[in-house]
Amino acid sequence: MRSGVAWMSLKQFLKNNSREVGLLVALVVMTALFGAINPLYVSPANITDIVNQATIYGLMALGMTFIVISGGIDLSVGSVLALIGVIVANMAVAGIHPLLCIAAGIAIGFGVGAMNGFMVAKMNLQPFVATLGAMSFIRGFAYVISGGYPVIGIPASYRTMVDGMLFNGIRTSILIFLIVAVVCHILLKHTKFGNYTYAIGGNEEATRLSGVKVDRYKILVYAVGVSCTAVAALVQLGKLGTGEASAGQGYELNAIAAVAIGGASMAGGRGGIVGTVLGALLFAGLKVGLIVVGVDTFWQYVATGLVIVIAAYSEKIQSKLSETSGRVRAWGEPSPGASKAAGD
Amino acid sequence: MPDTHIEFRDIDKVFPGQHALKAVSFAVERGEVHALLGENGAGKSTLLNILHGIFAPTRGAVLIDGKPATFANVHDAIGAGVIKVHQEINLVPEMTVLQNIFLGCEITRHGLVDRRAMQAETQKLLASLGCRFGPDERVKFLNVGEMQMVQIAKAIHLRASIVSFDEPTSSLTDREVETLFQVILRLKAEGITILYISHKLDEIYRICDRATVLRDGAYIATFPVAGLPKERLIKSMVGRDVAMFAKRHRPRCVDWQDVMLRVINASGNSGFRNVTFDLHRGEILGFFGLVGAGRTETMRGVFGADRLTSGAIELHGREVAIKSPADATAHRIGLAPENRKTQGFVKVLNNRDNIALASLDKFQVGPFQSHSAKAKHAAQMGDKVNLTPNDPAFFTANLSGGNQQKVVIAKWLTTDADILMLDEPTKGIDVGAKSEIYALMEELVHQGKGIIMVSGELPEIIGMSDRIVVMHDGCISAILHRDEFDEARILTYAVGGGVDEPEAISQEQ
Repeated sequence: MRSGVAWMSLKQFLKNNSREVGLLVALVVMTALFGAINPLYVSPANITDIVNQATIYGLMALGMTFIVISGGIDLSVGSVLALIGVIVANMAVAGIHPLLCIAAGIAIGFGVGAMNGFMVAKMNLQPFVATLGAMSFIRGFAYVISGGYPVIGIPASYRTMVDGMLFNGIRTSILIFLIVAVVCHILLKHTKFGNYTYAIGGNEEATRLSGVKVDRYKILVYAVGVSCTAVAALVQLGKLGTGEASAGQGYELNAIAAVAIGGASMAGGRGGIVGTVLGALLFAGLKVGLIVVGVDTFWQYVATGLVIVIAAYSEKIQSKLSETSGRVRAWGEPSPGASKAAGD
Repeated sequence: MPDTHIEFRDIDKVFPGQHALKAVSFAVERGEVHALLGENGAGKSTLLNILHGIFAPTRGAVLIDGKPATFANVHDAIGAGVIKVHQEINLVPEMTVLQNIFLGCEITRHGLVDRRAMQAETQKLLASLGCRFGPDERVKFLNVGEMQMVQIAKAIHLRASIVSFDEPTSSLTDREVETLFQVILRLKAEGITILYISHKLDEIYRICDRATVLRDGAYIATFPVAGLPKERLIKSMVGRDVAMFAKRHRPRCVDWQDVMLRVINASGNSGFRNVTFDLHRGEILGFFGLVGAGRTETMRGVFGADRLTSGAIELHGREVAIKSPADATAHRIGLAPENRKTQGFVKVLNNRDNIALASLDKFQVGPFQSHSAKAKHAAQMGDKVNLTPNDPAFFTANLSGGNQQKVVIAKWLTTDADILMLDEPTKGIDVGAKSEIYALMEELVHQGKGIIMVSGELPEIIGMSDRIVVMHDGCISAILHRDEFDEARILTYAVGGGVDEPEAISQEQ
């Protein structure tokens, strides 16, 4: 009977993680498809390249996951990428120790995030508007600091630290992405902070009336979220070797797309790190794949957009299916998103 | 000669894990007001949803005028004149009354909306319903009762032949209920068939001709309402005798020497002034008043959810500053809000996480949260409050109202709160679950907790309270001891009259 028990728990696992499993299947199918058209796509070098590409907005998407689950959004992260890039580039060029540069970058990210969180939680601004403002003035600061010139001459000591070669083409940056992903997953699923993030996104008022200091945690959510962008900025700086005030334009949308593909609800309360990582990989794999099979650049935009919409729609269908197959709902009530238990 | 309008024939509805309706068959006559009765989860709303095309029956059929009328969706049902006045009102708040009534069926002339024609029609509809607001009023400025009138106006406009109401009076004032009843009787006089779900038996006796009782998804009986003993109706609903519900079953246990909470001259911008009262250990303190009397606002003020503008709060004789719900929680006060679904629990969380929500520090192991400890705790709490199903992984949103309330109470028991403020704890909860909540409250005061129960239902307030605070227009108009409990007297204070000057009542409202 052991196999029966195993089968049941497998079924339960599939049901509870249907989104992640679905994404994995989509990823495999997509890889097979591109691979069939052009075998080069599945070569180790190309796959490493995809993962490499996924690291920057993957890291940003990890942070965005917290913010989106809490019911917010942050449009400023593309600008933050540029600001931190410029500041840390200047520090590195000035000969400051790489570790100190990294610490400073993360501190700036945390601070900017806390500021965004403050605008949302304490000034009661809508996240979209508050971070739209931040997006512009942070980019402005980046230009002011750099004077509009790229900061070049990043020392190799810094670059190898964040984007060195480990083995077989695997870069430090990939390792950093994985470590940050694991840390984020643990933060989200196994800490008080993570629990509150889901609860606030699910129902802020009920959470506040449960005695939770909602404002404080919302600020923290943005601070942690933007810190992930800081890591992305540090890695990007190592990869490119220049800090530019024009960097990262539109990256916030890629990050949000990865989070959305990963199954997080823009209304808050639902989502997860595993989904976001798969979403980021799918997104990067698609972009590279379209190039590899020779789709025209302009059509690449069209295809990418379609994939986002299809992913969002499949999420709708999935939650509908789990409504009818999941645990019984009280009728006449909106869907609680039946198959995902926050904190599991 | 009965004229059958709607016939439910052998309706079965199976949801995964739940057989919601079991071969339900009965007929509704044309032009009657027909009540659907039963505990929560008995299948009333499911049956209505099948009538309105929201669900398809698993087996069986609905016949209207003898013809099969199983609608594919709500839209088809509305097209056939089968209209539901929603429990949770579904109007567009930012739009005007006129726009809402004509939403989806605008009168057009040459492709443009014909405002004048719609204006005249709306004017006529509102006048016929005795509404005191105009077609251009924005819906967000209307109160719940008025919004209901807009829905009814819309139903009339769509030439409804069948209108159903699901708990229409749950958030209405007495006066609004009166207006609603008159309108319902008018609809009936026009030959419209009415289906009516309510937990309030008095209402059933007031306006319904017949009542069909469902229990656990099965059809029990259809009674003519006139002359039917209440006890018999209740008995058929719950299958056991709860005539004695809303009564205390154990000895009183108030320690009058031990004042747990003292609120002194508290005022707040949300609508209460100079509120002063004590809560003793082991006491159930009832808070009665009409809608808008400021009871909920007072609770929120004491709990720190809204700021107090003046006044003081003492706990166990020491003045404390409560500036936020977090402060209140730290002082071991808990609040089960009136709007359970929107404020009491988090929809996306399961029982385990909702019960633990206010006390995550207790489940901290090093830097991490222990989910297994939470699940274990939730199961224990579930036992304590008699939660069904007692499954920590079950989503709170999927529970019945009574069980949701138990989860909210379990959340506060987890914080070791010793002062519980329960705002309308049994609102929208069926009779059986009500008596369980009452028993739980009694158990808690026996454990030495103090409970404030806000309620607008007199039998409940009188049956459960050790003392009653009556509020009127933001102020406390009386604090009554048990020997002074008397319906007429309490109501007089609630409408703002002194007991010796009943003429004051007529000045009110």
